[in-house]
Amino acid sequence: MSTATDNIYLPKVAVLDRVVDEINEVKTFYWHFDDPEEQRKFRRFRPGQFAQVSLFGTGEFPASLPPSPTESETFFTIRTVGSCTAALHAMKPGERFAVRGPYGNGFPMEDHFGKNLVFVAGGIGLIPLRSCIIYALAHREKFARIQIFLGARTPRDLMYRGNLHAWERSAGVECHLTVDRSAEGWTGNVGVVGSLFKKPGVQVPVDNTVAFVCGPPVMFRFVIKDLLAMGLPERSIVSTLERYMKCGVGKCGHCCIGVAYVCVDGPVFTYEQIKKLGEDI
Amino acid sequence: MKARIVDGTEVLKIVDLLRQQGYEVIAPFGGRGRDTSFDTVTAENRPRMQLHLPNPYYPPKRFVLPHIERLLKVRRRDGELQIGPTVEEPKLAIFGLRSCDIAGIAHLDRFYLGRDYRDVYYERRRKNLFLVNVVCTDAERDLSDECFCVCTDTGPAARGHFDLQLMDLGREFMAVAGSPAGEAMLADRLFRPGTPAHLGQRRAILGEVRKRFKTNTSWFPATVRYVSQGKVLDKTWEEIGNRCLECGGCTYVCPACTCFTVTDRQVGPDEIERVRIWDSCALGGFTRMAGGHNPRRAVHDRRNRRFFRKLAHYFIQRELSMACVGCGRCVAVCHGDVGMPSVVEMIRRTTVEADQTAVVQP
Repeated sequence: MSTATDNIYLPKVAVLDRVVDEINEVKTFYWHFDDPEEQRKFRRFRPGQFAQVSLFGTGEFPASLPPSPTESETFFTIRTVGSCTAALHAMKPGERFAVRGPYGNGFPMEDHFGKNLVFVAGGIGLIPLRSCIIYALAHREKFARIQIFLGARTPRDLMYRGNLHAWERSAGVECHLTVDRSAEGWTGNVGVVGSLFKKPGVQVPVDNTVAFVCGPPVMFRFVIKDLLAMGLPERSIVSTLERYMKCGVGKCGHCCIGVAYVCVDGPVFTYEQIKKLGEDI
Repeated sequence: MKARIVDGTEVLKIVDLLRQQGYEVIAPFGGRGRDTSFDTVTAENRPRMQLHLPNPYYPPKRFVLPHIERLLKVRRRDGELQIGPTVEEPKLAIFGLRSCDIAGIAHLDRFYLGRDYRDVYYERRRKNLFLVNVVCTDAERDLSDECFCVCTDTGPAARGHFDLQLMDLGREFMAVAGSPAGEAMLADRLFRPGTPAHLGQRRAILGEVRKRFKTNTSWFPATVRYVSQGKVLDKTWEEIGNRCLECGGCTYVCPACTCFTVTDRQVGPDEIERVRIWDSCALGGFTRMAGGHNPRRAVHDRRNRRFFRKLAHYFIQRELSMACVGCGRCVAVCHGDVGMPSVVEMIRRTTVEADQTAVVQP
């Protein structure tokens, strides 16, 4: 929240530390603020929030925050899709750009203490959920069962491999992967994310459960159908919305749908809310 | 009300007082035909000032939210980035603002300075702004056929949010202060105390001018209810959408529209400016994301959006004012006749019809 003297449109200088290839067209950019004080302030973000990234001369774009506040590094995972993301992809370690935020409501993790957490992600939908998953695992004793269902087009499109391996091996989390098209060496499930729910041995809890769903619109629609059919109430399904945004602070008007400004009232909404907003996901 | 009186022959001396106090004074000036526009008062154009003339189409919004406004200046030097905010704090007075435009600025105040984030650029421009409201009393010259402030409850006489309000009583003007700055202005020798007779004159003139409005869209409350309850039929939005030519004119002339886009432009070899520019939800690219996905495709989706944003009870409650001030500019510029009054009427007509059909057919 801003004070009277804050300039809500003023980004702060950030330095790119290193770049890691995730999957085709998707890279993770590790960075830090030039000013340690800014870094300290920024690190109070919540899972599910986002930041505005400035590439001067090209523009500014909203980006999910994949790190959890329990981790020490700050980074973005970005698919190159337009001019700003392309400009970021062209950057070299040591170069400077600018960041402002964090913005948005984020996932209300404290409200979910004691509940079962079901994470369902398709493709790069894992980016905003990664923060949540890492946060939940760092506070493992605060939650009941934790399940992760993750789908990708091919085995090569599975991102955050290091995390995936750790989650698969971890005793405290049930992690299930699937791909749309198999490839050599893949021994796991083949099919859409929803097919994982019906696998033998998989039992998705319905009572005292919150499901986090992020992914492409078509996957979202089918997963929602499956979850509702299993008996999960609409208010227990949460997701994040993506919209064209310029300011991130509820002024420019671009992300306004229904009665909500996605940037300040979201980007996290329950399915019950999303349905009422009256626009495509 | 501590009303003061100033002679009609002396009323423009208020402009001189403001200029003496260091204000750059903006006022509406006549052009050719119906054309009028806001301009800075200078020694040259001062004799051409008029108190009664049609309200300019290009709204005074730009004095608090410039059409194109620089936000940042960024220099790149030896790999370093220097980011400098370019906040301006002018000392402006707008003389001759109509009550609808006063309501427009009041709405912008609530929007840009309200909620969790304050817009510092708006705040600084607003800080020293002195607003002189002139009540619309001359039905021939002040009112246009499109005016409907009597329906939005914003005029013909603003009830607040001005520093000074002037009302033509014939040979004299009544002056009322709306702020400490306005109060201080009334201490000048130019003004003398008003009498109960003056108040009687004021009431009589306002009662008379209220009858002279040609657009009487008095269904706002019903329309707000229909829109808020989601009762408006899809075919009504489609009908409105079909008439929209997607020019964006309505949003550019609207004194209460707030949307903007932000863009970077190169101004030197190593220098970039970030500017914000008025944007319009009528335009197809308004919600289009990188990669081409546009959650709002059809034109009626976009029209629905604009009118929903202005008429939904949720937003009126949140900002404590409606984002329509009854100035009638959208009516005047719209080639498809989907300005606010026609839309209100279309929504009300079709929804009432649907309601009645629903009652008849069990």
